[in-house]
Amino acid sequence: MAFLELDDLTKRYGSLTVVKGVNLQVDKGKLVCLLGPSGCGKTTTLRLIAGFVPANGGEIRVGGKTVSSAHETVPPEARNMSMIFQSYALWPHMTVYENVAYGLKLRRMPQSQVADLVRTILMATQLLPLADRYPGELSGGQQQRVSLARALVIKPEILLLDEPLSNLDANLREEMRFEIRRLHDAFRYTTVYVTHDQAEAMTTADIIVVMNDGRIEQAGSPEDIYERPATEFVARFIGGTNILSGTRSDKDSVLCQAGLVLRCGNGTADASGKAAVSIRHHDIEISTKPNGANTNTTTGTVTRQIYLGSHRDYLVSIAGGETVRTVAPVNVAIPVGQEVWLHFPPEKCRALAQ
Amino acid sequence: MWKKALSAALLASGLVASSVAARAEAPAPYQITPELEAAAKAEGKVVFYTATDVAVAEKLAEHFKTKYPGIDVQVERAGSERVFQRIGQEYSTGIYNADVIETSDAVHFEYFKRQGWLTPMVPQEVADKWPADERDPDGNFAAYRAHLSVIAYRSDLMKDEEAPKTWADLIDPRYKDKMVKAHPGYSGTVMTSTFVLSQLLGWDYFEKLGKQNIMQVQSSTEPPKKLAQGERALEIDGNEYNVFRLIDEGKPIKIVYPDEGTPLAVGNAAVLKQAPHPNAAKLFYAYLFSLDAQQLNSDFGGLRSFHPDVKEKEGRTPLSKIKILHSDPAKLEPEIQTIKANYEKYFGT
Amino acid sequence: MTSIAQVQGRRSGIDLSWPTFALLSLVLSVLVLLPLFWLAFYSFRSDTGGGATLDNFIALVADPTLLRAYGLAVGMALAVGILSCLIATPMAWLVARTDLPGRRIIRMLVTASFVTPPFLGAIAYEILAAPNSGLVNILYRSAFGLDSSRYLVNIYTFGGLVFAIACFTFPYVFTLVANALDKVPSDLEDASSILGGKSMTTLRKVTIPLVLPAMLAGTLIAILQALTMFGSPAILALPAGFHVITTKIWSLFQFPPRLGLAAAAALPLLIITVILLRTQKAILGRKGYTVLGGKSGTPRVTHLGRWKWVAVGFVFCILSLTILLPYLAILKTAFTGTVGDPINFNTLTLSHWKFVLFEFSATQLALRNTFLLGFLTATAVTAMALIVSYLVTRKSVPGAGYLGILATAPVAIPGIVLGVGLFLSYANPTFQLYGTIWILLIAFMTIELPAGYQQMSSAFAGVHPELEEAGRIMGASRLRTLWDITAPLLRTSVVAAWCFVFVGTIRELSATILLTTANTKLVSVIIYDLNESGDLGAICVLGIILLVASFAVVFVANRVPVLGGSQMNARG
Repeated sequence: MAFLELDDLTKRYGSLTVVKGVNLQVDKGKLVCLLGPSGCGKTTTLRLIAGFVPANGGEIRVGGKTVSSAHETVPPEARNMSMIFQSYALWPHMTVYENVAYGLKLRRMPQSQVADLVRTILMATQLLPLADRYPGELSGGQQQRVSLARALVIKPEILLLDEPLSNLDANLREEMRFEIRRLHDAFRYTTVYVTHDQAEAMTTADIIVVMNDGRIEQAGSPEDIYERPATEFVARFIGGTNILSGTRSDKDSVLCQAGLVLRCGNGTADASGKAAVSIRHHDIEISTKPNGANTNTTTGTVTRQIYLGSHRDYLVSIAGGETVRTVAPVNVAIPVGQEVWLHFPPEKCRALAQ
Repeated sequence: MWKKALSAALLASGLVASSVAARAEAPAPYQITPELEAAAKAEGKVVFYTATDVAVAEKLAEHFKTKYPGIDVQVERAGSERVFQRIGQEYSTGIYNADVIETSDAVHFEYFKRQGWLTPMVPQEVADKWPADERDPDGNFAAYRAHLSVIAYRSDLMKDEEAPKTWADLIDPRYKDKMVKAHPGYSGTVMTSTFVLSQLLGWDYFEKLGKQNIMQVQSSTEPPKKLAQGERALEIDGNEYNVFRLIDEGKPIKIVYPDEGTPLAVGNAAVLKQAPHPNAAKLFYAYLFSLDAQQLNSDFGGLRSFHPDVKEKEGRTPLSKIKILHSDPAKLEPEIQTIKANYEKYFGT
Repeated sequence: MTSIAQVQGRRSGIDLSWPTFALLSLVLSVLVLLPLFWLAFYSFRSDTGGGATLDNFIALVADPTLLRAYGLAVGMALAVGILSCLIATPMAWLVARTDLPGRRIIRMLVTASFVTPPFLGAIAYEILAAPNSGLVNILYRSAFGLDSSRYLVNIYTFGGLVFAIACFTFPYVFTLVANALDKVPSDLEDASSILGGKSMTTLRKVTIPLVLPAMLAGTLIAILQALTMFGSPAILALPAGFHVITTKIWSLFQFPPRLGLAAAAALPLLIITVILLRTQKAILGRKGYTVLGGKSGTPRVTHLGRWKWVAVGFVFCILSLTILLPYLAILKTAFTGTVGDPINFNTLTLSHWKFVLFEFSATQLALRNTFLLGFLTATAVTAMALIVSYLVTRKSVPGAGYLGILATAPVAIPGIVLGVGLFLSYANPTFQLYGTIWILLIAFMTIELPAGYQQMSSAFAGVHPELEEAGRIMGASRLRTLWDITAPLLRTSVVAAWCFVFVGTIRELSATILLTTANTKLVSVIIYDLNESGDLGAICVLGIILLVASFAVVFVANRVPVLGGSQMNARG
C-alpha cells in the first residue's frame, strides 16, 4: 500500500475549482515532484497535503489513516510533516540554532537531546559555524539550508517543498538541486516537491507528476515523462519538442496540414479524430535535398539560423504555415531563405491525444 | 420632563419612580445628635452635587471635614442645568450616587419634589430661623443660599460715570464689544434672570441686546472671571458672590444694582431619598444651614444667606437696600423652552 | 513507526478560531451596531409623546438653528481642511525633500503635537488670543500704546476657531504628505530632469501630482476631524455666539432634553463622515497614483541655498504658532496668578498647583479614572485589534472580512454621535452601565478600535503568512504559533498601537462629555468644567499633568525591555 494517497481530492474556492479530483499514490521514501505551470493547482495540492487548507471532496491518507476529507481536516501541527517554503519562512527573531531547535522543543525533547540533534543536522547542512547568527545575516543559499535543516531535524513522516529554489540565482539553484537530492538519498523521507521548472524536477524526482488545470496530466518517472509524454500538454510543457496538429488518417498515421502525412512509431491517439504529433528538435533531419520518401517529409524555408557553438539552431517555416524548430550539426550551414527538406523519422514521431 | 423623555429608554417600566403624594406637613425638626454623628461617621462619606462655585464648595467641604473628621465630602460641581441633567440621567437609569443636591434653579426642586426624589427633613436651624417663603412647606428643601445676578464692571477699564445704571442702558452702542454674559441653557441663575427681565422689559430688549456682540459664556460663575482676566470690561449677568470674592482679592471691579431691580436666584438644597449615605447626608444637610456654614458662605463665598444671624462683610450692599426681582418657579417652568428658543434666536447659541 | 500514534496524541488542542471569531463578532456587533440602532430608533421617536414620528427629521430641515449649525460646521471644516493643507504641504516638502536644518526635530515636534488634546490647545489660544486678555493682544497694545478697545487677533471668531482647529489637524496632512514624499522614487523625478525639466517644473509636474492623493487624503481627514470635533468649538464658538453641529447636539441634552432631535441631528453627521471616508479611500486606492516600494533609492534633496533662512523662518513661524506659543502660554498660566499678569518673581505662584493637587477634590479621582481607562482601553483595543487583524489578514475563518468591516466602522461615527448612541443604548435598566466607568470603556474601545485595527492589520500584512505556517507545520498549534512567532515579530507595532490608543483615549472629550458622572470624572471633563467656570490656571496645571503623564507612558512603553525588543533593533 502506498504511504501517501490522494483519493479524488477536490478543492474549490467559491465557484472556482482549483483541484479537480486528483488521484495519486506515493510509496514510502519516494520523492515525488508536482510539476506544472503557475495556476495548475500544484501548490494548492501541496497545501492540502500540509493541512493548511481543508478539502472539499475526496481524501488524503497517510499510512492508511485519513488526514483530510470533506468532513475533517487534521490540523497541520498534528500531521508530523514538515515543509520548506518559497520564502524559506525563517523566523527573523530567532537564531539559526533556535529556528532549527523550535520543532524539537515543541516535541518536549530534553535540552541535551535537542542540542545533539540540532548539531547533527547543522553539520549535515554545513551550517554549524552559523548557529548563532540571525537569518537576516545569512546569504540566500545559507537561508535555504537553514530551512532544510529545520524541516529535516524533526524527522517528518512527509517532507513538503514549495518551489524551494525559486528565490535563488541560477548557479546556486543548480547546486541546491543536487543538495536536495543528496539529502533525500541520505534521509529517505517521503517527499512532495512542487516546482514549475522541469529541469529541477528531472534532477530531483523519483516520480514526476505533471499537473494542468487542477488535474494530473501524467505521472511517471522522469524518463517516462520525457520520452513518452502522454498528452500534448505534457509534451509542450517538458519542452524541446515540436507539436504538429492534424487528424488521424489510419491506425498509425496523422494527416497534417498541406498534405504532410506523419507515420508515428508510438503514441496514444484514438483511432480517429483530432490528433497531434510530437517530435523533438534534435530528431528532425534537415537537408537541402529531398530524400525521396512520400511520408514523414516536407519542404520549408529557413527563417532563422543561430550558431550555438555545439550545434546550429534552425527555424523552418513549412508548407501550411507552421514553424518547426530543429537542430543540426555545426557543419550543416544553411542560409536564411533557402528551401530545405525536413524528415521526421517515424520511430521518433509520437502521436498524442489533443 | 426627564421622566417623559427617558421612560421609553427604560423598556422596563419598573424603575419609574412613583409619585409620592404630597405630605400634609413637614416632619418635625431635628438636631445634630451624637448618634447621628456616629452613624454618619460609620458611612464615612457624603456626596454633594452642587452648583455653587467650586472653590466655595470645596472650602465648605474642607470646613465640614475639620468639624466632623472621618467623613469625606465628595464635591461634584457643575452648572445648575448640568447638575439637574446629571441627576435626571442617573435617576432614570437607577444610579444613586448623590446624597445632597443643590442648584440655583428653584424650578428643579419643584420637579424633584413632584418626582418624589427628596426626603423631607427640617434641620432645627431652618425651622427656627428661616423665613417661611424660603423653605418648602412640606419640608422637602430649603433655601441654602441666594445670590443676585448683577451687572459689574472693571473700574480700571471703564470710568464710573460711563458705567451703566439700568438694564436699558446696556443696549447703548457704547457698550458694544465690551460685555460678557452667561447662558440660560446652562445656568439656572441666568435662566431665572432672563425670565424676569423678559417679563419686565420684553423680548425686544433682548433682541437689541443680542446685536451688541456680547461674549457668550456658559456658567454664571464665568462672567466675573472674564472680568478678572480683563477679557471684557462689563458683565451683564453673573453671580454676585463671585464678584465679591474677586473684589476681596483686590480686583478693580464694581457692582451695579440697576434701578429696575436685580434678579435673585435662590439656591435650594435637599437630601435625596435614594441617598447612599443617608445619615451622613442628614448631618451634612443640617451643617449646610448652620450659622458656621452660612457665615463661611457669606465671608468666603460672598453668598447671601437667609440666616438672620449672618453678618455681611463690610462694604457690601445689604440685601435690604437692593430692589429685588423675584421669580416664581411655577410660572418659569412652562416657559423654559420658549426662553431657550428666543435666546438662541437673538444670541446665536 | 510510532509517529501515527504520536500524531493522534498531539491532537489535543482544539481549534479556538471559531469560538474566538463568534465571540469577537458578537462583541464588535454590540459595540458598533447597538448604539447605531438606538440612534436610528430614537430619531423616529417623538420627544414629547413617545411614539413614531418624522417630526425630528422635519425639524432637521425646518429648524433654522440646526441648519445654521450644520452650515457653519461644514464651512468651518472646509476652511480647516484648506488651511491645514496650505500649512502642512510646504512644511512636509521642506522637511522631506530639502536640506532644511533640523528636519528630524521638526518632524518629532509635529508628531509630538498629536499628543496635545485639541481642547487644551483651544484653551491655550484663549489665553493667547482672546481679544482683550489675550497675551498677544496685551503685548500688541503695550507695544503700540493703544487703548484697551484695540486688539490684533480675536480667537472668539469663526476665523479664530478655524485657526485653532487647523493647528491641531495639520499634522495629519503633514504626516501623510511627508511620508508620500519620502516614497516618491527619485528616478521618476530624474526622468523628468533628464527630459529637460527644471527643478520647479519637475516639482510642479511630477512631484506634486504624485503626492496629490496624500494631500487630498490628509485634507479630508482634517475636514473630518474638524467636523466631528466638540472641545474646540465648545470653548471657542460658544463665546463667539454660534453653534456648530456638535455643540448644537450637545445643547439638545440640556434640560429639557430632546433626545429624538439629538439622534436625528446626529444622523447627517454620520452620513457625511461615511461619504468623506469613502472619498478618501477612493483617492488613495486609485492605481497608478500610489507610489509604493522604496526600491528606487533615496529621494532627491533640493538645496535651498539662500532661501534656506526664509524656509527656516516659515517653519519656525508655524511651529511657534502651533506648538511653542500654546505650550508657553499653558506653562505661564500654570505658574502665574491670572492670565494677564506679567511674569516676574512677584507673580510667580504655585497656588494653582496647590488648588489642583490638594484642594480640588475631583483631581485624584479624575487622574485615576483617566489613566485606568487609558490603560484598559489601550490593552483591550490592542488585544482585540490583534486578534481581528489576525483573523482577517490570515483569512483563517470564512467571513472574517466582516470582522474587519465592523472594526473599521466606528471611524465613521463621530464621537458626539457615538456618545448619544451609547447613552441611549446603555443608560437603561437592562444594562445600568451609565454612571460606571464601563460605559466609558465601551465608548473608548469603540472609538479607538479603528485606529488600533488599522495599525495592527498593516503590521500583520508585514509578517509573511509562511512564517506562521512554518510554525504550524513544525507542530505548533495556532495559538502557540501566534505566541511564539507572530507576537514577537509584531512587538514594536503592538507597543506603538498601544501608545496610540492610550494617548487617544486620555484626550477624548466628545463622547465622554455625555457619558461621565460624578464617580467617573475624567481629566478631560474636569478641564472642560473648569473652563466653564473660567479657572484657566487650574486647567493649565491639569493640562501639564496630562501631557507629562502621556509622554511618560509613551516613553516607558517604548523602553521596557520586554516590550521594546532590543535585539530586533540591534539587527536593524
